[in-house]
Amino acid sequence: MSEQVSRRDFLKLAGLGAATTAILTGCGPASRYVKREPYQQMPEYNLVGQSTYYATTCRECAAGCGLVVRTYQGRAIKTEGNAHHPLNLGKTCARGQATLHGLYNPDRVQGPSTGSWDAGIQAVADAFKKYKPSEIAFLMGMTPDHLYDLVSDLAQSTGMNAPLRYGALGMFESRATLSKAAENVFGQAGLPWFDVGKAQIVFSFGANFLETWLSPLAYTRGFAGLREKETKLRGTFVQFESRMSATGAKADKWIPIRPGTEGLVALAIGRLVSEIRSGAALPAFANVDPAQVADEAGIKLATLEELASMFVNSNVLAIPGGAALGQTNGLEIAEAVLTLNALSNNFGKPGGVYLSALAPNQEGTSRPASPIEMYDLVEKMKSGAIKALFVHGVNPIFELPKTLGFEAALANVELYSFATFPDETAAKAKYLLPDHHSLESWGYQRVATGVALPVLSGSQPVVSPYYDTRATADVLIAAAQAAGGKFASALPYKDEVDFIQNKVASLVGDASGSFSASDTATFMARFQQYGGWFRNVESLIVPDASKALYNPVKTTKPSFAGNGEFFFVPFVSPTLAEAGANKPWLQELPDPTTTVMWNTWVEINPDMAKELGLANDDRVRITSEAGSVEAFVYLYPAIRPDTVAMPFGQGHTAYGRYAENRGANPADLFGAYYNDAGDLAFAGMKVKIEKISHAVKNGGLSRMESLMGVYGEGLGGEEH
Amino acid sequence: MIRPDEVKMSVEETGKWGMTINQDVCTGCQACVAACAMENNISFVGEEDSGYGRSMHWIRIERFWEGEYPDVRMTPQQPMMCQQCGHATCEPVCPAFATVHSQAEQLNLQVYNRCVGTRYCANNCPYQVRAFNWRDYQRPEPLSNQLNPDVTVRRMGVMEKCTFCIQRIHRAQDTAKSEGREVMDGEFTTACAQACPADAIVFGRVDKPETLVAQITNNGRGTKHLAELGTLPHVTYFKEG
Amino acid sequence: MIQKFFNWLKQPLGLIASGIVFLALVSAVVYGIWRTQQAPEQPIQFPHKTHVNFGIQCLYCHPGAARGPAAGIPSQAKCWACHNQIVKTRDSALLAPLKDAVLSGKSLEWVPVAIVPDFVHFNHRPHIAAGKNCEECHGDMTKVTVAQNPQDMTMGWCLNCHIKNAGDDQEKLVKLTDCGTCHY
Repeated sequence: MSEQVSRRDFLKLAGLGAATTAILTGCGPASRYVKREPYQQMPEYNLVGQSTYYATTCRECAAGCGLVVRTYQGRAIKTEGNAHHPLNLGKTCARGQATLHGLYNPDRVQGPSTGSWDAGIQAVADAFKKYKPSEIAFLMGMTPDHLYDLVSDLAQSTGMNAPLRYGALGMFESRATLSKAAENVFGQAGLPWFDVGKAQIVFSFGANFLETWLSPLAYTRGFAGLREKETKLRGTFVQFESRMSATGAKADKWIPIRPGTEGLVALAIGRLVSEIRSGAALPAFANVDPAQVADEAGIKLATLEELASMFVNSNVLAIPGGAALGQTNGLEIAEAVLTLNALSNNFGKPGGVYLSALAPNQEGTSRPASPIEMYDLVEKMKSGAIKALFVHGVNPIFELPKTLGFEAALANVELYSFATFPDETAAKAKYLLPDHHSLESWGYQRVATGVALPVLSGSQPVVSPYYDTRATADVLIAAAQAAGGKFASALPYKDEVDFIQNKVASLVGDASGSFSASDTATFMARFQQYGGWFRNVESLIVPDASKALYNPVKTTKPSFAGNGEFFFVPFVSPTLAEAGANKPWLQELPDPTTTVMWNTWVEINPDMAKELGLANDDRVRITSEAGSVEAFVYLYPAIRPDTVAMPFGQGHTAYGRYAENRGANPADLFGAYYNDAGDLAFAGMKVKIEKISHAVKNGGLSRMESLMGVYGEGLGGEEH
Repeated sequence: MIRPDEVKMSVEETGKWGMTINQDVCTGCQACVAACAMENNISFVGEEDSGYGRSMHWIRIERFWEGEYPDVRMTPQQPMMCQQCGHATCEPVCPAFATVHSQAEQLNLQVYNRCVGTRYCANNCPYQVRAFNWRDYQRPEPLSNQLNPDVTVRRMGVMEKCTFCIQRIHRAQDTAKSEGREVMDGEFTTACAQACPADAIVFGRVDKPETLVAQITNNGRGTKHLAELGTLPHVTYFKEG
Repeated sequence: MIQKFFNWLKQPLGLIASGIVFLALVSAVVYGIWRTQQAPEQPIQFPHKTHVNFGIQCLYCHPGAARGPAAGIPSQAKCWACHNQIVKTRDSALLAPLKDAVLSGKSLEWVPVAIVPDFVHFNHRPHIAAGKNCEECHGDMTKVTVAQNPQDMTMGWCLNCHIKNAGDDQEKLVKLTDCGTCHY
């Protein structure tokens, strides 16, 4: 039959009809109709269809960079740097950019666990009344400062424990060590500021100042200044570290010394330089023998001599930091490196060492709690001396080393969490009273370092709160009022904004600043408009280093816990840092050195890996005295064969869908060993490595370099 | 003999918008990558797809290794994005005319509504800077609140790439025109250049000799990548400052 | 089995059945097309003609058109600011949704009809600056209640006007016909 219609054709025909209908419907204007909601009340300063920009402060780390957030119809669209902010001059880092993925994160805490905020506030008020003030402790993150001030005031006038501040970034920066070293060398505690931008030669002993260190934007700008001199030659940069960091990757010379010998190397260079200059070793360097140091550090004496000859004819800025300070002899290393600067006589001079300026409304220096102070807190929790713990802006279960036993100690206390995100600590809270996201919040942050001017960086909400969250300051003020008595008189404020106005009152009428206003309302308006206030007076503190060269610097040998065969170098992931793992675009940023995305790796020297029979993407277990973690092998060409390294930032068991059950947390390996300043000796250990399984096809690390490998000589995957 | 300033360059050769990248100060910090993603509504693809090389970065920081331990060295970081070639190899291979040259702005355009996803352009791009939407990548609510209304949200089956932030170019031109003036140098810049903490990226009009980017481009120390292919790229790289 | 079915289709009854199916398909297609051309439901049957005939300028309620890409929908507060003062409209049943929305703090959900797909980036400002009047694209608002779209707003429609307006100015023509002017 010629006209026979096959079943196939029939179905085709029927399908065609349906498809035509669908296509025609799809093409009509109706398919594009969307509902649009106008403003109920449009803010006066908004224009229909135009973006509005608000200045605020970034809280992704404690540096305090100014942001300008582009908002459109009440939504935050883009964060940009605040060009008028003296710290970052209009620039941002990747984490500042991704802060919007925190604001609009699909896994935020959406409301108080008590159901209503009244019940939540009552619970806090009850805790204030139920427990003796000495049984109440606050543990806070490194941001924001206004809340820390509020809690400090509360604690001071009611007799509660003074609030502790902690953050993993602060731990890896060993801030207590830097401050203590300054005290020992200069006789004055404080956070040192290294003027990289105007230096001629920079020797960095492990400092990862181009990544997350203290004030990454200020130091990156300094680095650009070092390289791009209009009047001088291009500055030189030498990095001493056992594993090439993203900072070390920019060095002209990368010198892989054995972990823990950074101080010795600094002193040996000092000795060689002082011998060339004056014929005799200065007292500070008398203890070391360069040949022996070269041997201990695993480098050639000729290298030390070459570096010394570089030093002799010019001034060198020496910076201590990173894993070097995370050794049991970290304090001595920091002192040795600071002392080396005395040979350049660069204290308080351009291209030299300063102590950071105090912020406008700051009395005395402050620093986050060192891990040993955290250890004291945990012990108090265990013994029952502390019965109620309030946590804000920090995730101690993840950020503290497991050996400290914080998680177990939580069983003894009533935990009140103000977490914005459902992190590991928030999951254990009896009361979860979520704070706004930083872009929905009021506040201020003191710029601790990175700029010569004293800066108070201001925050304001750029969008209205997306969820049923409430500012922790407001909750505490309301709870204190409800508790009455000395609590109410400790916080006699209407709300958070009232408190902030009170705290900046001393700056109203101050004519030395970026703007001056004669009344509080004008001051606050400008404070919001410019994103902060800074005094136009360079206020860096010039350290007194007159004695530095005449006191011999101690040289204790580092000790390494555990009986493994590898030194262990943990470093903060330059893209994720301590709290970036829940932001999907930060996860998808390739690590600057390895180009790995979304996971944790352990870096092993390729030759050593060959010896061990390890290949890229093999699964291994890394075991220390304190614990063990699993990770993928990454053959890293720039690491000592006796060292392995791992990034910190992943390994969450909670914290939202993008962070959960992804990678491993090297903090699980840390033992409870401290340096003399009370900072954790996070690199003071040796680890074992054992292979668990072979790499499987498409089962390993996601790397950007496999894409680049098409034309480059990347390392991508040829080992299989 | 012809003096260099007598050489008549074609409009494709000079280009209009250009960029310079100082690899000596680039620290590989990824701020530009994040800024680009946030400005241009770029999807994140997750671990598995990024493992297959499907991540959608419009800009990436390339780095390679030289030498063996202990004399190993990382080559200067090299931010790589669409070079906005004057003679782009992606353009002639597109059967749908989705990859076309903008005569007005001298940029390589990707017209999303024309793209049918043959991926010929990506195969023909010597810089490997084009990203293909292998799926409809999800942005769980409320992440979509952050989308930039000035940039199209791409769907599955569409090729995309760096546009030199053409939405910002248009906005600046529109503002300037409404004020009866020309766009000034430095009045606006691309998201990557705006974020870069080291100021390694400079963007602007390369066809106007007085602009910063033109002065850097013409200082004679830069190189253009794969220029020997005759692509006339408009991004100039500086290895050592 | 299938063969039997096709044989049955050729019987008179089968022919009638296929006819019915065919008609049903055609009407479904027609209905589908018809559906696409319908104006969407609006929360309020907003009478543009009344407002325009009172002499209210377009830009009074849609000021964004003169400044930037989007003309915008006025805020509810703006509507209510006038209507609250007019006795006739304050308690009118027709305006009840507006009153409810204002009092309850909820938003009205308008459905704009003069829209382009999301891959087209239209900007009102240059069109107004070039001397175009609102009605040249949006039609005569003195005659309609809820906004209706007099044009398809297709690319051909855009381009025809662009080419006409560029005239002999080559530079303008290049700019106005460049893909990148609207698509990015």
